Amino acid sequence: MEIQNFILGNSELFRIIYGLVIGLICMTIFLKTDKFFKLSFHEGIRYFRNAFFFYGLAFIVRYFLGVLLVPSVDYLIILILFEYFIVLAGFSLFYSLIWKRFHFSNSSVFNSKMIFFHIIALTIALLDAFFIIGNFMFYSQIIIFSCASIIAYKNYTKNKKQKFSKFYFIAMFLELFAWIFNLITVSIFEHNPLLLFNIGIINVIFFLLILCGVLKITKNGCKKT
Amino acid sequence: MAAKKRERLEVIRDIILTISRNRGIKPTRLLYASNLSPQMFKEYISELIEKKFITLEIDKKEKKFFTLTKKGQDFIQEYKVIENFIESFGL
Repeated sequence: MEIQNFILGNSELFRIIYGLVIGLICMTIFLKTDKFFKLSFHEGIRYFRNAFFFYGLAFIVRYFLGVLLVPSVDYLIILILFEYFIVLAGFSLFYSLIWKRFHFSNSSVFNSKMIFFHIIALTIALLDAFFIIGNFMFYSQIIIFSCASIIAYKNYTKNKKQKFSKFYFIAMFLELFAWIFNLITVSIFEHNPLLLFNIGIINVIFFLLILCGVLKITKNGCKKT
Repeated sequence: MAAKKRERLEVIRDIILTISRNRGIKPTRLLYASNLSPQMFKEYISELIEKKFITLEIDKKEKKFFTLTKKGQDFIQEYKVIENFIESFGL
């Protein structure tokens, strides 16, 4: 009970820390994979990095800038930006798993597929802002992470020698669970702060799992060289 | 039994490894070693030169040959790690 009161009493501080921690994890993933991308120009790595770049932006905007800048900045703008970046990140992460089936040309952040993702992400963010609910974002992310979990599981069963592929599947499934849990919390439990706090923990675990994988692989690379 | 089609990264690795093992390899010899069509070979080589993995030089007898840049050497060292990363995340 004391812990609950402590959390509820310092919710703004926790939000700032949460945003900073996840922002930092995402930026670390983005920077640690920079060398891999510059050496290989692999499209899967490109979209993987894009995903964590946008995740980092989303969490810093919502939980760090959102707390510090409100009320000088309309919170609706913060929410629209958050949803836009998060949906874009989800699409990028999903596309990093399936890009081979759809790749036709050399890409950049603003190629035809990314432009499509930008349009969908913006549409979802604006729809949620217009209807003052977050459900379009939740549904889109639940669909994306359902598909991503299936693909990650298939990759794991095809390639069991790769130890991390099992954890990547677990991470995807965990994040799917977090989005479903989040939708239920918002729709049925009226944004219960303690439930939201638990969802935040699941999110942190998701990003930490990815970061551990990236650090482990890059560290092994450094050892060999 | 048909040979498995190589991924783009594997083709790049094969070309760069061939150049690293043969100092100053000539274009024709590299083409045969790469096991690519002339059209595909040209595309890959253009990309590798553009991205500064290899350079095309001319010797005193005005013969062309390919050499590896520092970036190309880094690629060889990091290839296994990159491959491991791609497989781990299913990219």
